[in-house]
Amino acid sequence: MTSIHLDNIVKKFGDFTAIQTMNLEVRDGEFLALLGPSGCGKSTTMNIIAGMETPTHGTVKFGERDITHVPMQKRGVGFVFQNYAIFTHMSVYENLAYGLRMNGTPKAELDRKVQEIAEFLELTAILHRPSAGLSVNILQRLAIGRSAILEPSIFLLDEPLSNVDAAFRAVMRQELKQLQRNFKQTMVYVTHDQLEAMTMADRIAVMDHGVLQQVGTPIDVYNNPRNLFVAQFLGSPGMNLLPGALADRGGDMFVDLELGGSIALKGSDAQAGRAAKSRDVVCGFRPEAVQFDDAGVSLSVTFVERIGARTIVHMGKGAASVKAVFDNKVAVNVGDQTRIAPQDNAIRLFAAQSGESLQVA
Amino acid sequence: MTHSSPQTSNAAKDAPKSRLGLWLTLPAQLLILFVAVFPLLMQLYLSFSDWTPLAGRSWTRAHELWIGFWNYSDLFADPRFWGALWRTMIVIGIAVPVEFLLGLGLATLFMQDFRGKKVLYSTLLVPMMIVPAVAGYMFFLLFQSDGPINGLLSALTGLDVSIRWLTDPDLAIFAVMIADIWQWTPLMFLILLAGLLGVPREQLTAATLLGASPWQRFRTIVLPKIKVIIVIALAIRVIEVFKIFDTLFIMTAGGPGTATETISVFFYKIMTLELAWSYVAAAGLVILIALSILAVAAMYFLPKSKEAGK
Amino acid sequence: MASISFRNVTKRFGDTMALNDVSFDIEDNEFFCFFGPPLSGKSTILRIILGLDTPDSGEVLIDGKPVTHIGPAERNIAMVFQNLALFPHMTARENVIFPLVERKTAPAEIEAKLGDVAEKLHMSHILHKHPAQLSGGERQRVAIARALVRDPVAYLMDDPISALDARLREETRIELKRIQREVGHTLIYVTHDQEEAMSIADRMAILRDGQVQQIGTPIEIYDAPANTYVASMLGAPAINLFDVDAMSGVTKNGALDLNGVDLDGVERVGLRPEDGRLIGVDSGLRSTVSMVEPLGGATIVTLDPPEGGTPIRLMLRGQPTIEVGAGIAIEYTPSALMRFDANNERMGDTK
Repeated sequence: MTSIHLDNIVKKFGDFTAIQTMNLEVRDGEFLALLGPSGCGKSTTMNIIAGMETPTHGTVKFGERDITHVPMQKRGVGFVFQNYAIFTHMSVYENLAYGLRMNGTPKAELDRKVQEIAEFLELTAILHRPSAGLSVNILQRLAIGRSAILEPSIFLLDEPLSNVDAAFRAVMRQELKQLQRNFKQTMVYVTHDQLEAMTMADRIAVMDHGVLQQVGTPIDVYNNPRNLFVAQFLGSPGMNLLPGALADRGGDMFVDLELGGSIALKGSDAQAGRAAKSRDVVCGFRPEAVQFDDAGVSLSVTFVERIGARTIVHMGKGAASVKAVFDNKVAVNVGDQTRIAPQDNAIRLFAAQSGESLQVA
Repeated sequence: MTHSSPQTSNAAKDAPKSRLGLWLTLPAQLLILFVAVFPLLMQLYLSFSDWTPLAGRSWTRAHELWIGFWNYSDLFADPRFWGALWRTMIVIGIAVPVEFLLGLGLATLFMQDFRGKKVLYSTLLVPMMIVPAVAGYMFFLLFQSDGPINGLLSALTGLDVSIRWLTDPDLAIFAVMIADIWQWTPLMFLILLAGLLGVPREQLTAATLLGASPWQRFRTIVLPKIKVIIVIALAIRVIEVFKIFDTLFIMTAGGPGTATETISVFFYKIMTLELAWSYVAAAGLVILIALSILAVAAMYFLPKSKEAGK
Repeated sequence: MASISFRNVTKRFGDTMALNDVSFDIEDNEFFCFFGPPLSGKSTILRIILGLDTPDSGEVLIDGKPVTHIGPAERNIAMVFQNLALFPHMTARENVIFPLVERKTAPAEIEAKLGDVAEKLHMSHILHKHPAQLSGGERQRVAIARALVRDPVAYLMDDPISALDARLREETRIELKRIQREVGHTLIYVTHDQEEAMSIADRMAILRDGQVQQIGTPIEIYDAPANTYVASMLGAPAINLFDVDAMSGVTKNGALDLNGVDLDGVERVGLRPEDGRLIGVDSGLRSTVSMVEPLGGATIVTLDPPEGGTPIRLMLRGQPTIEVGAGIAIEYTPSALMRFDANNERMGDTK
């Protein structure tokens, strides 16, 4: 069981900077999700941990060991590729046995371990089948088993569920989570799906354009985003972000929204408002925190998505659009004029210029 | 249950298509008939006779000189034939593996990037592009006892090297093989490079992460995946060795004596110097059958389905 | 613009029955979604609509006219593939006008149609770029534009956005809905993301093993599923199904109190995760919390029923504090409980 330390990692590909000065610690036995949109550098980060890429600057440590220049062959990390990279010319058995064959494990022990892991992953029935042409669900278990059999203390998974269709994804998520709980390895999981990250990770690290945005427990990052990017990236739908200006009216703080109307700031929100260096802010609140309020902001309903348990109501247009999530009983129709306001303690303030939160340190 | 008999209607739609196909390929079929089938039949016909150009009659009357299988039994008792076959085997046994290994080595090298890669690539292809007869003459000059190769060896070793490459019966075959290797390694290189490029990169990375050394990766991932390409390359080369003629003939004319007389040279000599055309016809057919068996055996290695090759 | 209908279509591939007596009517200008697991027949239906495959029996009608013997080219149905199949060596513009160029349309008409489509899809500014220079969402729009530009009778999309980032998927599905509304063509859409299907479809068909289980609006199917299969197809986490012990007035796993529920002929009951609430335990119906997954806007609580068996999953709004290991009882609104008979079909209207 090992912790991973990325110290001042920079990675450039020619002129392109894929990762800018990143410091990240993955704790021993933790399930950390690297979350971000395509091209944010999360896969590159993982490739650096695995040794498939060397950082341009900075060091990588497993525990106390500096492994920055240790070749990937010798790092002993488990790795599951997005497309699984199963050895298609070998049987299921041979795939599982590969790592043990390479390190010279004696035949009897090798066979025992393969049988064990095959049973655990429910692959025993197809052990001697060729691995080419098997279903994605089986391939994923095989990919995991092939690495897990070597009992690595660090396990890296590169978007392993992106090829799995939506229906099975939930099942596979549970399986993966269970596996990590059982083996207690340090696991780093790359994904662009924030729901996946929320349900599976102990902590999440959000990245955008090569910069680490925020690290914390899923709920913590969800509730207290450090900047606009994190605020809109987490949550389904993302946080409503409305530009506006801070106003002090007789000691009470407000945010005057560009789209019209004002939101009153109370308590610590008001304090943050007063401490702000600039009046130009973005006022954020999550769609689940929207309630109907006769004194609230007036908007017309443009679209209603009734998707079973929830109803997502789209209001307004363009930069002045707001989404609200209600249960499936809410009575709203396209074209309705409504008045809404965020719940107390749901308001998040960000400096318009820098995008940084005014409330989170 | 109503059936719109789709099976029959589909079949009816397909039948005209296949007849059209037949008509369209007719010219090609006729061509093959003339170019391949008729000559073979002629050859078969002649091989059962004792006809030579000196027989004083047209070949069409070769049946008058019918001798049945005697040409064939003479062939199997002919030490010169076996000698030629043996020498061909030597070339296959030595030159082809060397070409293969060199080609593989070069192809592996070309999987990396390095400075001057494009230049080296072009240079490597040059030998293949030289007319075999010209190459033959080139090596003839190079391998002279007072020629450049001996000169180079002298310079390198400080001794007075004067190897009689082309005139020493034991060495001549090696000179010929060196020429063949020089000419055809590039082909092996190209075929194997194409094969190597088809090996999925991710699987190699996965193998490395599982602890495989470069050699282990090569043995367990690369080789199995290029198995088919290797078989094809070797099959092509082996069949070509039977056909070696230009380069060799200009270098040694099959000599000294019969020291470098491989099968094709043997055919040439018997035909032109002894005019035993029907004998050569028989010999040619025997070799054809042998090579066909080889080709079929090679096809056994080809994958049965599209998936298996990956 | 056209309606598309299947009447008792059956299709076999060798021994497999790909479609088994499938019938449906898709209205003109409707956004119709086929939903089901892999190999349920969705792609086969698309292929038959396109004319790439012929049914073994049954009829296909476009605008009320049988089209069984009309080839794909004459049917004027456009298809947007999952991998988009854009020509990489052409610009977006050339890609979009390709179908028209192929049909030797007059240049003036090409320009007019191109302008129309580009405006509707907000892509005039990217027309000069090559696919490699475009983002996933932009490439998608190019593929859709290419399908629309020849004014098809209907267009088909086979799982077009599943390969996109999660965030982009959410945005793109709204885009697609908007485009379909504005452009007004019949759009037939295949997906296996149930949230996506529910969000964009006017009506949908649930497929299983080549048979249509139910057709209706998403909300109709969600609120009144025909059987347990359909009930568990929509909704995430899936509906909780409980075997019923009519005698004891409780579910067999001891988790739900069924007092007051008409259990005549009822084999199983179903409760959607969002319809359950947790209350403190005074009664004996104590389920144990085994896992708490906070999603941000909601929290999924997994419970082990008192008599053991399949875990129960409830979805609670917001971020309530719940301890793993706590003993909890499940409460629900009676009208939200679904009842299923011995054939797994939903009984009556409990609402």
